[in-house]
Amino acid sequence: MEEELAHLHDVSIGYVEPLVHDITIEIVAGDVIAILGPSGIGKTTLLRTIAGLVRPLTGEVELGVNPRGGLGYIPQRLGLVGNLSVRSNVEMGARVRLSKWHPPFLPLPQELDDEVNTCLEELGIYHLADQPVRILSGGQQRRVATARTIAQAPKLLLADEFLGELDDDNVEIVMNAVQQVINKQNSALVMVEHHEELARQVANRIWKITDGRLVEEV
Amino acid sequence: MHKRFLLFASFIVILAFFLFFDLVGDWGRLSGGWGNLVIFFEESLWPPNWSVLEAQSYPVCDARFEIFCSVAWLGIVETLKIAFVATIFGFLISVPLSVMAASNLSSPYVALPARVLLAGMRSLPSIIWAVLFMIIFDVGALAGVFAMTFYTVGYLGKLQFESLEGIKNAPLEAAKATGMSHFETAWLVAIPESANNLLSHVLFMFEYNVRHGSVVGLVGAGGIGLYLNTYLKLAQYDKVVALLIIIFVVVVIIDFISMALRSAVNEEGDVERPTWSSLFLPAAFTSSNHPTPIKRIDGKESE
Repeated sequence: MEEELAHLHDVSIGYVEPLVHDITIEIVAGDVIAILGPSGIGKTTLLRTIAGLVRPLTGEVELGVNPRGGLGYIPQRLGLVGNLSVRSNVEMGARVRLSKWHPPFLPLPQELDDEVNTCLEELGIYHLADQPVRILSGGQQRRVATARTIAQAPKLLLADEFLGELDDDNVEIVMNAVQQVINKQNSALVMVEHHEELARQVANRIWKITDGRLVEEV
Repeated sequence: MHKRFLLFASFIVILAFFLFFDLVGDWGRLSGGWGNLVIFFEESLWPPNWSVLEAQSYPVCDARFEIFCSVAWLGIVETLKIAFVATIFGFLISVPLSVMAASNLSSPYVALPARVLLAGMRSLPSIIWAVLFMIIFDVGALAGVFAMTFYTVGYLGKLQFESLEGIKNAPLEAAKATGMSHFETAWLVAIPESANNLLSHVLFMFEYNVRHGSVVGLVGAGGIGLYLNTYLKLAQYDKVVALLIIIFVVVVIIDFISMALRSAVNEEGDVERPTWSSLFLPAAFTSSNHPTPIKRIDGKESE
């Protein structure tokens, strides 16, 4: 039986007025889901609702994973700490695999430190490890955000337009790294993507939002 | 809308003038005031008495240079020490309090009491804190350190929680979604994200504490203010003027260092490196030296 990572039951999403109604979907291990639709239709809101950052207006979101360590989230604006180095940002991902009582000012255990190095190498940013994130290009920052999430080894990875500013080579690097995590952890990726062609290349399920409804393409 | 704003602004200005006249009351009692000031200046204040830079007769000076045993040196060094210790202690206490007071990092049940505490510490001027601590510690630098630390916590805490509330939401959301604890979010995300502002505030606070060190000293809480107070009581106003000039010079030097450091840590560079002209001339005379030409909406550079 497929491992269920999240389940939405009759969920309506939005802030004041509902943007999308009656969403009943499930996300299982191995899924690579792309959410498509025009701007302002509710794609990001759906992702934020699954991430637990926005309450659904109606219905229920059930997560099959513990958010600490189990849920990786790359917001549209990446959510990196610009003043910190690339390594410190990536270490932040690895740190949530430890107990929340592990003091954040102590260094990571050796095995997690090694995994951080591996993530940096996989994403091709090892040479930038000591640079502050704020001086990097948009594409490099996207790779850092991906490395941070991969270092977390999440079961459910939510990404909001994280392939946006990347060229073809970098899309390949990022998707290879994400795919490795999916295979190794038996996890799933849900991503919001503007470039439909790109989304169709990498996803195995497509969700389209039209007229306030979420429809899965078969 | 524009007309209503003008009417409102005019009303505020007229109200200010009305209140000013009300406060002055009898204009007749101001007659001869300027003359009195001139007499006081010529007879008591000027020229400054630079003997404050000479070694005191007691205790016996065994320093290499006489100035190191002078009232001015001893006073200003003690003021700087008090300001430094109070700024560092105040910073250490205000950081956790400002994290607790920031509404984007703490629940309202924690934020509200923390804000009330900070407001309470800020609402008493440092001179009142100094009087209170002098009752506990007697006259001297220790009362000054405690008074200025308390005021620093209140003032710095407010600046810092406002700065923490101003950080971008995306890093906090990423931290929240991935299940980071409040402490981890504050330590790993919020404080580093606003580090430039925090450092800038600390430097500003040190500068403020040096200026204020002379005020708390007036009530006996150590530093150069203690000597100022003594000379005021003895009506030795020429020595008071000499000490005030020395305080002014020290404050200007610290202002320079502080602004240079703040512009170094400020990413946007909105704190300009100071020049002599920017310190002593109105902004209109110095704005042409601004390194970045101001762009107009149509893309052309402004004159």
